[in-house]
Amino acid sequence: MTSPEIYQRALLELARSKAGVGQLSKADGRATLDNPLCGDEVTFEVLLRGDRIAELGRKVRGCVLCEASAALIGRAALGASASELSQAREQALAVLRAEPASPSGGFADLKLFSPVHEVPSRYRCVLLPFDALEEALAKAGR
Amino acid sequence: MKNEILRGLLDEIRAKRPVVLATRLDSGEGFLFDPFAERSSVDPAVQGAGREAALADRSGLVETAAGRFFLRVFNPPVSVVIVGAVHIAQALAPMVKLAGYDVLLIDPRRAFAAQERFPGIPLLSEWPDEALARVGLGRRSAVVTMTHDPKIDDPALVAALRSEAFYIGALGSKKTQAARRERLAGLGFGERDLARLHGPVGLPIGASSTGEIAVSILSQLVGCLRQPGGARAGA
Repeated sequence: MTSPEIYQRALLELARSKAGVGQLSKADGRATLDNPLCGDEVTFEVLLRGDRIAELGRKVRGCVLCEASAALIGRAALGASASELSQAREQALAVLRAEPASPSGGFADLKLFSPVHEVPSRYRCVLLPFDALEEALAKAGR
Repeated sequence: MKNEILRGLLDEIRAKRPVVLATRLDSGEGFLFDPFAERSSVDPAVQGAGREAALADRSGLVETAAGRFFLRVFNPPVSVVIVGAVHIAQALAPMVKLAGYDVLLIDPRRAFAAQERFPGIPLLSEWPDEALARVGLGRRSAVVTMTHDPKIDDPALVAALRSEAFYIGALGSKKTQAARRERLAGLGFGERDLARLHGPVGLPIGASSTGEIAVSILSQLVGCLRQPGGARAGA
């Protein structure tokens, strides 16, 4: 099995993950972003405790890359602060650009997206969920 | 026509439900009935003839043991849902309107689903399964997918296959059709379901330009509506 195949299988598995899927009964911030060119649509909701995410809800309609990225966030973003998430986004972008990157903790799986480097038109698919979460956090006032 | 019948008729037409007005020829007495009702108090022969008439969209005279009736069919308008606000849709949507049918265009990609690209055409920038769950599909519905993106086309086809839509078509080459059928089979659709799917879409008339492809699709759709089971409905 070649390495892109391993990546592809891991990404498909990640995309199927339901971590964080669903609506919160109470949220401090909520944001929906879409990509007008491909229709991908991501909604994130957050409930904060202090400056950290205590609860997270998400709804995603999109391609495998977008769903996998949102699922990774769904797994890793609980307990994270806005600045940690913005660092994770930087790491994601570095992985996509094949620049030195060392995503850590729950975001270590960002490395799975490294084959996307070859297809710049798909970077947006991976970054859209990060941007939706960032906007939800901004609306929550943090 | 009695006021009470007229009111009932207008209610059904507004609700876009099929209804048949039966008029007894000897007395002139009339009544309305749902031609597709599972249980009905209407004479079974009249009920059956009403169902046939509604399916054929043709009013006419019927002789039964209960008497002679004129059955006037009021079917809801044919409604054509186009998924994918693409170039061919720009030709197909106005043609559908010219044919006298309702048209609805769905595409979650806002860059495509711009009203300026489709003047006068009802447009929903939503995911098709969510939009169709709200809009509803029935016997008089047709669904044609055109985005070439399975993540958008497939949910629309799934909704169409689960409905009684009289026409389901999917744009795409023979090769993409094979992959599509495989994906739909993976979702539990059997051969009979997949036989309802027209793909490659349209009559084989060598259509090449966007307008010609739209003609071939609309022709096939009309064939399925007016001659279900006929040769032209195939292909």
